[in-house]
Amino acid sequence: MRGFLFFVYLCIKYSQMINSVRNTVLAVANKHNFGYITPADFNLYAKQAQLDIFENYFYRYNEWIAKQNARVSGSGYADIVKNLEEVIDTFSVEGFLYNVIDNKYKMPNEDNNSSTYYLLNKVLVYTSFITKGLTDGFDAGNNIIEDSTKDFSTIIVGDYVSFEINDEVIFVKVLEKVSQTELRVDSNLLNSSGVTYTIYNTSVRQNEAERVSHSKITMLNSSNLTSPKTTSPAFTQSELTINIYPDTINNVGQVVAQYIRKPRDPKWTYINLTDGEPLFDQGASDYQDFELPATDEPLITSKILQYAGISIREADVYQVGATEEAKDKQKQG
Amino acid sequence: MAYLTGYEYYENNGSLPEDKNWGSYQYISLDDIVNNFMLMYVGNDKLVNNVERYNVLFHAKRGIQELNYDALKETKIVELTVCDNATVVLPPDFVNWVRISLYKEGVLMPLTENIQTNFAKSYLQDNDCKVLFDESGDVLIGTSLLDADRVDGIQKTQYLGDGKLNGALGYNIEGKWVFDYAIGARYGLNTETANINPTFKINKSGGVISFSSSMADQIIVIEYVSDGMEGGDDASVSVNKLFEGYIYAYIKYAILNAKFGVQEYVVRRAQKEKSSLLRNARIRLSNIHPGRLLMNMRGAQKWLK
Repeated sequence: MRGFLFFVYLCIKYSQMINSVRNTVLAVANKHNFGYITPADFNLYAKQAQLDIFENYFYRYNEWIAKQNARVSGSGYADIVKNLEEVIDTFSVEGFLYNVIDNKYKMPNEDNNSSTYYLLNKVLVYTSFITKGLTDGFDAGNNIIEDSTKDFSTIIVGDYVSFEINDEVIFVKVLEKVSQTELRVDSNLLNSSGVTYTIYNTSVRQNEAERVSHSKITMLNSSNLTSPKTTSPAFTQSELTINIYPDTINNVGQVVAQYIRKPRDPKWTYINLTDGEPLFDQGASDYQDFELPATDEPLITSKILQYAGISIREADVYQVGATEEAKDKQKQG
Repeated sequence: MAYLTGYEYYENNGSLPEDKNWGSYQYISLDDIVNNFMLMYVGNDKLVNNVERYNVLFHAKRGIQELNYDALKETKIVELTVCDNATVVLPPDFVNWVRISLYKEGVLMPLTENIQTNFAKSYLQDNDCKVLFDESGDVLIGTSLLDADRVDGIQKTQYLGDGKLNGALGYNIEGKWVFDYAIGARYGLNTETANINPTFKINKSGGVISFSSSMADQIIVIEYVSDGMEGGDDASVSVNKLFEGYIYAYIKYAILNAKFGVQEYVVRRAQKEKSSLLRNARIRLSNIHPGRLLMNMRGAQKWLK
């Protein structure tokens, strides 16, 4: 009996939010025989609801900063701004940007990837490097930077090496100086020659690049006093790329971005039973729970109910969701 | 932990140049100023908000330039030899001169600026006094007679004459000339130009200093002020720590003053803070201390003739 109770306890403790939300949504919708929401529809509504709430975090953050300045927000547990920051920071990612050409770097933007960016917060630039080149050989262990045109005598163990493989920037440490022209690094991806690499000193400094609008960058570049330098770099943002200035910043692994990624699309996965009733399966490879905190569950439920209500043309269902959301917002100030 | 270790300070960690860090503790770098300002004075709960870093950088540099023009006593000194045409090219970071001296026989002799013009651009003209042009329509330039006379020592000062004894009656006694005292004052003397020593004139647009003819091949020492921008190398721009507070106040004032919707009293407060910090820093930099006062006061009992 105690074993069974413990199992129930574990089930409750580790029950997945997406399943809980779906059960609630179905319960509300079925109470008045409004109809059944298929898993595919639920997943679509869930995605929209999560994005909606996620985006709203930034507006709420702004509102609460204004309130904080008006001395409406408190400190400690009453520090709402800090709470909101904590949630947003769970989506923070730091990664090297792929050098497309010259001073143009690519933003991570693969669809529903774990690092698809939503908001670029900070761009850092390594101010200097020791040397750069192109490998002209490789080793069976796939972990050697081999360049017969270079003399690696000034490189020391612990220096950083960055190189690009399959549109991805790898940033690793030098483990051993094999010879004047060969370095063993902490990676086993060097399985071909012709890899562009750059080597950085361990003490190399990172400077933050400033985002500048397209309307200002030309004037800024020609300004005597404020033109971008390696000590104060700047960048402009385009659809999927950023251009860094001064344009001498054009090396592999020289640019790092800290950004807020998009939440992954939630997916309620299931196994079809013989009578057609889907059974929740969180072991599926494409399973994805909501990434927002558990405290957002009521809001997510309300949002999904609204979408579901619109879908089945039931104003009542929509109304229930909208009312619940309004109450929630009122409570949060 | 210290900013620099002793080895780093005295010997630059064994790298060249060895003197790189000597005296560096007096200064704060531009990089640090901008960084500190962005960190401490810009924010959601600060007076300055939503300001781009290049704005801060611009005002920081402008503040440093202003300091270099009139508050900092950091003159740069360069020694040069005057060439045959009695001119010297201005130093690359020259903004204004403080003193130009002739160094001769171990003595540094400050020179006087010639307030009259000693150079000119000479337009070529034909017999009918019409200005001549080249095929592009630009005026043809020739050699300036004024300039040539300056180099040849023919150019004279109008009011100075050839010295007070030139043309006066005297007696030659045993090979030496003796003159009577001149009676009355030298009416008409222009004291501004009354100087028998070599003079100079700065041709600002031409970027040269033109000296009187006797200065050819002489050694001169130019003391001048720059704008502190170190030829555009941001990494080398720094300001004395005594002015650090002033620079922050200057940036804050400049931003608030240019921003729309900032209450006037806030701008005024920033302006007052800036001005008072400049006064404070000037007092600090004037280095008035008992040792120096004592040396000055030693002359207090001196008899004046």
